[in-house]
Amino acid sequence: MSRKTNYRIGSHSRRRGGGRAGGREWRQEQYEEENNEEVQSRAEPSEPRGTCMSMCPARELREREAQRRLHRFEMLAGTERDRMPKADPSRTVKEYSRPAAGKDSTRPSDLRPPSVLLKTVHFLVDDIAASPTLQPWNEVYDFVFDRLRCVRQDMVIQRVSGPECVAVLERMVRFLLYASYRLCEEPLRLYDPRINDTHLQECLSWLLDCYSSGEHQHQEEFQALNLLYNLGSARALQCALELPERVRTSPAVCLALEVNRAHLERNPVRVLRMARRLDFLQSCALHRHLGACRRDLLMLYSHGHSSRNCRFPLQHLSHLLALERPRTAQLCQAVGVAVNGDWVAFSKTSYTETPLGDVPSCLSPELVDKKQGDRTVSEVIHGCA
Amino acid sequence: MAHITINQYLQQVLEAIETRDGSFCAELLSFKHPHVANPRLQLSSPEEKCQQVLEPPYDEMVAAHLRCTYAVSNHDFVEAYRCQTVAFQAHKEENWALPVMFAVALDLRIFANNAEQQLQKGKGKVGDMLEKAAEQLMSCFRVCASDNRAGIDDSKKWGMLFLINQLFKIYFKINKLHLCKPLIRAIDSSNLKDDYSMAQRVTYKYYVGRKAMFDSDFKPAEEYLSFAFHHCHRSCQRNKRLVLIYLLPVKMLLGHMPTHQLLRKYDLLQFADVTKAVSEGNLLLLNEALAKHETFFIRCGIFLILEKLKIITYRNLFKKVYQLLKTHQLPLDAFLVALKMMQVEEVDIDEVQCILANLIYMGHIKGYISHQHQKLVVSKQNPFPPLSSVS
Repeated sequence: MSRKTNYRIGSHSRRRGGGRAGGREWRQEQYEEENNEEVQSRAEPSEPRGTCMSMCPARELREREAQRRLHRFEMLAGTERDRMPKADPSRTVKEYSRPAAGKDSTRPSDLRPPSVLLKTVHFLVDDIAASPTLQPWNEVYDFVFDRLRCVRQDMVIQRVSGPECVAVLERMVRFLLYASYRLCEEPLRLYDPRINDTHLQECLSWLLDCYSSGEHQHQEEFQALNLLYNLGSARALQCALELPERVRTSPAVCLALEVNRAHLERNPVRVLRMARRLDFLQSCALHRHLGACRRDLLMLYSHGHSSRNCRFPLQHLSHLLALERPRTAQLCQAVGVAVNGDWVAFSKTSYTETPLGDVPSCLSPELVDKKQGDRTVSEVIHGCA
Repeated sequence: MAHITINQYLQQVLEAIETRDGSFCAELLSFKHPHVANPRLQLSSPEEKCQQVLEPPYDEMVAAHLRCTYAVSNHDFVEAYRCQTVAFQAHKEENWALPVMFAVALDLRIFANNAEQQLQKGKGKVGDMLEKAAEQLMSCFRVCASDNRAGIDDSKKWGMLFLINQLFKIYFKINKLHLCKPLIRAIDSSNLKDDYSMAQRVTYKYYVGRKAMFDSDFKPAEEYLSFAFHHCHRSCQRNKRLVLIYLLPVKMLLGHMPTHQLLRKYDLLQFADVTKAVSEGNLLLLNEALAKHETFFIRCGIFLILEKLKIITYRNLFKKVYQLLKTHQLPLDAFLVALKMMQVEEVDIDEVQCILANLIYMGHIKGYISHQHQKLVVSKQNPFPPLSSVS
């Protein structure tokens, strides 16, 4: 009798491993199991271990070559114009494909072990993303984005964790942050900030999850980036407050928390001023909030400085907004702040709440670009100071 | 009761089942009842005995319960949680047994919690056990919510609010507040919502109030939390204190400051300096008070809300500047001096303008800023409207 009991308990734990056991459903299953001894011997399915030692599985390489589905970055030099371009195995990378019913995505020969995944990421960063010859950059982005997505898929299927996983995710986050800034002026058909954001958030939360155990060299950097990228998010802030003392009081996290505090108090002047103290990647992370922040400033000033015989110097306003003068005037007009030569006139009645999408996001040479200094794209993404 | 034999115990369970006495049966399966401390019942394999006396599924449920008492006596909460899961799943879906479900569900959550703590000492992933317990409770909730056959008097729908409260407890613990939303919707659309027991409603309002607070919906948060505070049983001082931890910041944001007696009565003097600082417009003291009790405030998850009190503190500080200068045209420099006195870091005249603009925008100050003259011009009537009239 007790043997049977143990067996029952064993079956529960296995069931729970699969998750989502409904009470009723479970009971049925249990009765089935009692009549079905072989279930007992079924071993816990372990995650697959990849054996593919190149960036692209041989099978996929042949397939895509034959179907002429190679990306132009992957073709062997000199064969691009052929009827059947050849693949350059040193440049071909496994592409992302959606999981579908009946498709086996767990074949070890199609999966790359962690070390190969890290090498793949290095290739994508150094030879593609940072390449001065591959143009245009939005195509570079599409290619790298897709191949990185597949790297992540391989990691998920193999449940990869540990230092390689962290190193891969850190580069993914930096790449997506950098791209979110570099492509922010592109039209929607070439670059969709929403999709980039979804992937960036997933990578970030996985990465921060990895950090929750053990010590990690770059933890402060990414905690700060998370706070800046998710400016004003109560959840991100609460998590940051609960970080271990050492991380929370590090200069990067402190600065990011300060920016968030200024935002929480709705003090855009302070937010924009602190933005000047951020480094290049931090600025890229904060950049998507700058538009809203500038409009906040104009909204507050429209209410606070609302008087018929008052005026405000445009020059000073453009300094507060960290925008060039023409851009400042443009933005003012978009929200109903009157510009008269060197002066603007704030008025709470003429201020108009335009939807954020109507004012396109633009590059900020002052707050972002100039901080890149002479660092190359690959240095930025690898995180070299 | 304390030292009955296994046979006596099983007879009592049988009797409870046969007479459909839900609450007695619940006691016999609850860890709040003294029988769990009875060593004669703490058995590692009570299955056979149970099967002799009880019909399925109660045999399995009681057996699991007894194995659970055994595990608890060994301080093995991971095993206890496992047994409790079995007891919970074996739970028969009959309407008279709702109290049994309450007892077992409650213990399930508590053991999941304990198991979690025990595992954390090793290296388990945080929230795993609790998440799985939530899944179990959720499947039970679905059964209750979809019970449309029984008459309203003994409908399983009476179990909904209890289960929701248990789920809230877990979701708040594992920081998955977004999962609360469908549950709240289920209760909002239920016609029983005002008829559940007061205890359950108080718990419910407490969590819904906290949720509203985190979503920055302060008005509804105040309403829910006030309900919880006023209807919480007077003997439950600890619970009243818990409600206050969240009600106080919300009230303060809306301009109502707690008295010192209240804070002392509920052992919440951590708030004393905060209250004092905000009413006096003393930013320096506010920062000190927040820093001093940082750990407590962060653990309760109210640190960020308390930081929002800064805006009101600015208002109170600036009102003092106005009262001192006794004029309607106030030089911006005066505010800068006030802020510097409060050791606000790296503040300059631009920031003063921004803070003032924000206060004007929010309706805390009636007036306008003249950049040319570097002055704040305030209304001759009521330039600082009372806080409670503003938000």
